[in-house]
Amino acid sequence: MKNSIKVERAKKNITQAKLAELVNVSRQTINAIELGKYNLSTILALKIAHVFNQSVNYIFELEESDWKS
Amino acid sequence: MKTNYLLPNRLKKIGWILFIPGIIIGILSLIYHPEISFFDIKVFAIAEDGIFKDANFFSTSKNNIMDEIICILLIIGALLIAFSKEKFEDEFISKIRLESLVWATYINYAILILAIIFVYDIAFFWALVFNMFTLLFFFLIRFNWALYKFKNQISDEE
Repeated sequence: MKNSIKVERAKKNITQAKLAELVNVSRQTINAIELGKYNLSTILALKIAHVFNQSVNYIFELEESDWKS
Repeated sequence: MKTNYLLPNRLKKIGWILFIPGIIIGILSLIYHPEISFFDIKVFAIAEDGIFKDANFFSTSKNNIMDEIICILLIIGALLIAFSKEKFEDEFISKIRLESLVWATYINYAILILAIIFVYDIAFFWALVFNMFTLLFFFLIRFNWALYKFKNQISDEE
């Protein structure tokens, strides 16, 4: 799964720590999500999308490899 | 994240307060085998001696309860440490928790199977005694190691 959290953060000029605080997780969790190391829950995806005023699909995108596992 | 199977964070400290004396006294009593008569008391037993034949059920007898105290300190202490929430428990930590529990179960039973095959008689009895605690110990080691790595991960923050 690809995501554009980093880009969206840059647009809104907020840090990982600030985003983490807004969606109530740790900064490290946001970092792991940005790096694609962690598949987050639907609820957290919806919250992050909400913070950026976007739809979930706009921020998170399926990759070819997601269909293989 | 909301979970209903974890204990409040403040119980973690109480867990350490029980666990540390438990492990110190436990190790000391394994080495020195003290027989402290203060702990000789009359106990109620649901079963004692052989379980199938020659067993006494629902009897009372005299017993040194030092080992019982150590076991309970270790088990309750380790349970409280293991299953109290972290200060900031989010969904990533839940994932680490689950992975660590599965990992600890694999390791624990792998070692037990080795003990079943290669350890006999009284030595096997001791293997079973240690096995009462090892699942929790392995979990604690693996979980805290993974947590440490998580907290100190390299950030790509700019």
